[in-house]
Parts: sequence; structure tokens; C-alpha cells
Amino acid sequence: MPLNRKQAYLIMIRKGFIAMLPLNLAVLPWGILCGSLAIQRGFSILEAILMPVLIFAGAVQLVVIELINDNTPLATILFTAFIISSRHFLYGLALRDKLKNLPFKWRGSLGFLLTDELFALCGESKALKGKLKLVYALSAGGSFYLCWLLWNIIGITAGSYLPDLTNLGLDFAIAVTFIALVVPTITTLPVLITVLVAGFSSVLFKIADWELGLVLSSLIAMFCGYLTAHKQARLNIKRNENL
Amino acid sequence: MTLLTIVLLAGITFFSRYLFLHPKLPLRIGAKVTHLLSFSAPAVLTAIWVPIIFIKDNNFNTSLTNPYLLAATVAVIASYKSKNIYLTLGTSITVFIMLRLFFS
Repeated sequence: MPLNRKQAYLIMIRKGFIAMLPLNLAVLPWGILCGSLAIQRGFSILEAILMPVLIFAGAVQLVVIELINDNTPLATILFTAFIISSRHFLYGLALRDKLKNLPFKWRGSLGFLLTDELFALCGESKALKGKLKLVYALSAGGSFYLCWLLWNIIGITAGSYLPDLTNLGLDFAIAVTFIALVVPTITTLPVLITVLVAGFSSVLFKIADWELGLVLSSLIAMFCGYLTAHKQARLNIKRNENL
Repeated sequence: MTLLTIVLLAGITFFSRYLFLHPKLPLRIGAKVTHLLSFSAPAVLTAIWVPIIFIKDNNFNTSLTNPYLLAATVAVIASYKSKNIYLTLGTSITVFIMLRLFFS
């Protein structure tokens, strides 16, 4: 029996939710940390809730909570948030051709939901093509938003009852999620080179304490991956010519 | 004041995510740049996770007592062998918690 449109959408909503579920669970400790830290650093409940609702970015929230608590000047806070967020420009660029001609409801909503996690799910070339895949992405991104909000609210509610969670190593869950997302995609030499260069250079930049290190090391790694693919293609052409 | 800061920050994160999705932006992405951008996901995600594992208080930490390093090694092997995200998360987080409980 052929599916009607509504049934097809429902299937994609379920698929998107299931694909995002492990990532939704993996950010649970991180969300609780963000929520409880806001309360422990003297934010009001409204302010603490508005952070996941409006900003919706774990790294920015965490850094900004400490900066606001330290009475950092507003310009410094905004600049720091801009630097941390700048990796998103790459995501927008990578998805530009697929999304730019869609109505604003799609661009705006998927743009708002465009976290590291959603990009990891939708970064491949076949993603986001056609309405069904857009519904899939919206469901994945939307469920991530709702879970992030819920985990933050749990942290806000438990707030002052929780000990200081900042040194418990909750960032390990983030790291291991990204390992689980990246390692299976290393199927070609160019991607392997990209990953090795990104890992090596990001550590160097971090030790040098360069704020822009994340974006710089990503760009260098992407370039190395691209060059490797280019070299491989040229070698293949040469080989074919010699045959 | 904090509320205003939060609204401005929300503007910054949305701007960074939405900017290049905007159709009016005068920008054409050629085939070469598209190919370059195809490496963005492994590049950015790796540049996020590797420092979490190796850097402790701004120092390079490769000692065998670094629970991050041991548990991440388990994660890489589990992910490579199984390609299953739940199995990878489950085994490595269990190892991580054990190491933190018993060895620190």
C-alpha cells in the first residue's frame, strides 16, 4: 500500500527523532551542568531558562555564565561568544546551496537549530534534499532543542542542591559523542588526513591559548583533506593514462 | 542587564548559524569550495573533541592515568569495530566513570 503524504512525514519525524536520540541523551549531563551552574552563579530562574530557549548553545552558555558572574564588560562577553560561535559559519556555508532557496520557515528554523549535532547528522551530501529529508532534519534538530531545554530545566530545578559539577568531567560525554560520529566516517584517506590534522592542530592552538584555534584548525584540516583528495585524483588520472 | 546580554547573545548565535543560509547574500559557492566544505564535519567535530581528551589545565596530558585518554581510546576502538553509537557511548562512559571512581 503506498504511503500518503502524512504517513510519510510521520515516518520521517520518527526517524529523525531516533537518529538524534543518542545525542539527546549524551548532552544530558552537559545540560544539567549549564542549568545548575546558572543558578549557582546567581542568575534568576527566568534568565537561566532564557539561555537554552534563546541562545541554545552549550559552549556559549557555559562560558558566558562565568563571564557575567565575573562582571566582564559586555563587549568582551559578546566578542567571546562570537568567537565560540564562529564555527557555525562553516556549517551555514556547507549547507548554503541546499537551503538558500527554500522558504524562510525552513531556512529560519533549520538555521536556528543548526548545532554541531544537527550538522553532524545532516552534513553528508544526500541530506536535506527534498521535503521528506527536511522534515527528518527538523525532527532531529527540534527534538535536540526540546531535550536541551529539558536537561537545562532539570539543572535549574536541582540548582543549588547539586554540588559544583564543573570539575566532574562531564565534557567527556561530549567528546565521546563526537568520536562516535566521526570515526565511522573515516572511510577514505582524505578524511583520515582531515581528522589527524584537525586533532593535532587543535591541540597546538589550545595549548597556545588561541581563541580562534577551533576555526583555524578546522580550516587547515579541511584544506589538507581537500589537497589529499586532489592529489589522489591526479594520481588516478596519471595511472589511467599510463595503462 | 543580564536579560539584555542574553538577548544579544541569542542574536550572535543565530546570526552565526543563519548568515550563510540567507539567499540575498551575494555569494556563489563553486565546485572547489563545495568539495573543501565536504570536509567540514570531520574537521570541526575532531577539533572539538581532541582538545577535551588531551588538554588538562592548558597542558598536554598523555599520562596513562589520564582517564579521558584511556576511555577515549576505548571509544575509538568501539566505534571503529561496531560503528554503533550506543555501544560506543556505553562502553567508554562506563570505563571513564570506573577510572574516575577508582583511580583518582
